[in-house]
Amino acid sequence: MMKIDFSGLESAVLRSCPNSELFDGISTTPSFQIPSTTDFDGFQKEAIQMVKPAKGTTTLAFIFKEGVMVAADSRASMGGYISSQSVKKIIEINPYMLGTMAGGAADCQFWHRNLGIKCRLHELANKRRISVTGASKLLANILYSYRGMGLSVGTMIAGWDEKGPGLYYVDSEGGRLKGTRFSVGSGSPYAYGVLDNGYRYDMSVEEAAELARRAIYHATFRDGASGGVASVYYVGPEGWKKLSGDDVGELHYMYYPVEPTAVEQEMTEVSVA
Amino acid sequence: MESVFGLVGKGFALVVADSSAVHSILVHKSNEDKIMILDSHKLMGASGEAGDRAQFTEYIQKNVALYQFRNGIPLTTPAAANFTRGELATALRKNPYMVNIILAGYDKETGPSLYFIDYIATLHKVDKAAFGYGSYFSLAMMDRHYRNDMSVEEAIDLIDKCIMEIRSRLVVAPPNFVIKIVDKDGAREYAWRESIKDASIPAA
Amino acid sequence: MSIFEYNGSALVAMVGKNCFAIASDRRLGVQLQTIATDFQKIYKIHDKLFIGLSGLGTDAQTLYQRLVFRHKLYQLREERDMKPETFASLVSAILYEKRFGPYFCQPVIAGLGAEDKPFICTMDSIGAKELAKDFVVAGTASESLYGACESMFKPDMEPEELFETISQALLSSVDRDCLSGWGGHVYVVTPTEVTERILKGRMD
Repeated sequence: MMKIDFSGLESAVLRSCPNSELFDGISTTPSFQIPSTTDFDGFQKEAIQMVKPAKGTTTLAFIFKEGVMVAADSRASMGGYISSQSVKKIIEINPYMLGTMAGGAADCQFWHRNLGIKCRLHELANKRRISVTGASKLLANILYSYRGMGLSVGTMIAGWDEKGPGLYYVDSEGGRLKGTRFSVGSGSPYAYGVLDNGYRYDMSVEEAAELARRAIYHATFRDGASGGVASVYYVGPEGWKKLSGDDVGELHYMYYPVEPTAVEQEMTEVSVA
Repeated sequence: MESVFGLVGKGFALVVADSSAVHSILVHKSNEDKIMILDSHKLMGASGEAGDRAQFTEYIQKNVALYQFRNGIPLTTPAAANFTRGELATALRKNPYMVNIILAGYDKETGPSLYFIDYIATLHKVDKAAFGYGSYFSLAMMDRHYRNDMSVEEAIDLIDKCIMEIRSRLVVAPPNFVIKIVDKDGAREYAWRESIKDASIPAA
Repeated sequence: MSIFEYNGSALVAMVGKNCFAIASDRRLGVQLQTIATDFQKIYKIHDKLFIGLSGLGTDAQTLYQRLVFRHKLYQLREERDMKPETFASLVSAILYEKRFGPYFCQPVIAGLGAEDKPFICTMDSIGAKELAKDFVVAGTASESLYGACESMFKPDMEPEELFETISQALLSSVDRDCLSGWGGHVYVVTPTEVTERILKGRMD
């Protein structure tokens, strides 16, 4: 039977148990105080708006012959403003597992770290690493237990376990999908356009890395909310490895070098069309 | 959902449109031609509200024809594009037409060209363009594989890739598409890409 | 999202020693989707007078066409080019005509006036003029542009230094804006010549 931690829903009485302080918040699912307000929904709505950066994103991951390829851009934006060009959207859960980040930055970072803890505890308790299936289910169950409370997470859990490569899509609505090819974020349709077409199962690591990088690049070109650096990670039998991190500002001119011309655009009488 | 897109190749321009006529959850027909042949060397692919689309494109078509009758020479593609923009812009602050247009044409002096005109009358000359939900998939695909010296075969191959992507990734993907071409020999239908056929009425 | 931010833009004009520079980004977008990266936002009225139009693309095009029309009428009647000050008043008047249904544009006007004295000015969408001695900015990246210009601008720069300054200000500002960038377009105008340069920029 699935055990859901409802302690967060109880009224805010500080749990004081001096002996268990060491384990507090590690062994159990963290519990959060509920705001003391009569208009909980209104409060939620406002609070959500205050912590909603990193909405525009392009992340992707796919399984191929040699393992899993994971890639992402690095832009965080608030409305039209670019708040950062150097966000780490690929989170290293443990040496064999990666998570990607789309949606709320804090939500993703916190729950991935939390998942990392749980995976390590599983390892200590069972003397074997947790499967990707298991890890993604842990996360999905937690997110599901907070459903409707404003969490915003769209993530892919990619890794290598006893059964080989694994890839799951998990989101804050409680959805969990197993698959071989996913892309998440505002730039994902663009990334899919490149990815679907270039994908083959029997690619080499180099080919797969290039496909992932190219898909991210094309997404950053068309999507205003994606950009920065295209990072590419590969997860194989030996664990994950970062393959590349290219500034897309430079990638563009690598893919499409500018041919030198004297005058690029002549000014004409009627310049509209 | 509606998908209209187009591109310019070496000596020709292509326009592709889905052919579904939809009202809320109902598909009225799946072989509705949304690309109008404006005159001998112009194509107008349009998406948007069904009534506005039919009314507006026909209005433009007739006015382009009127110009040709009065002056004995056809409008150039940029002239037709600017005329279309003007009409849309005037209507914008009265009773706007909800139509997005991709205008392709071939002129003897300047060769093929493609114009992007959205429903608020933003006009821009482009070499690849897309409207509707299909644009998210087809634009990146075209960015990846497009070259400005593509042959017809290469361009059709690219368009087929886009159609495949739309069909496989878009939630309510239209089943059928029509492809039209304009080059030095004129504007004409090139091919259909059908995955379902409308039930044909047996000849009485 | 504000209608002024629908297409995305960044505009800046700076005054130098007997010269001025005006620069814009090159993106045409529909909200977050980039449609084209060669969109023109700065228009030449005559050799020593330029106008940049930020805001809604369609209104910028309409407004530009009306301004060209009015300026040509002026040229015919007066047999001379308009002074920048006069032109600014014309723009202001045309904008205020639409007080209750404005053009969603914020113009930036830059020109060389009598004795080649540089003139720059901006105004809001209903024509409230705002003259400046140093620099003016407009568009979705205007906040970043204020910061960049405020720290980089020096009075009485020579054309070469002015070009460098305005380019750096533009490029660094659009790097903090999702809706503008994708290259830059710079004009440096001295009493004797106009230099036009396309800037390579980050394409994300």
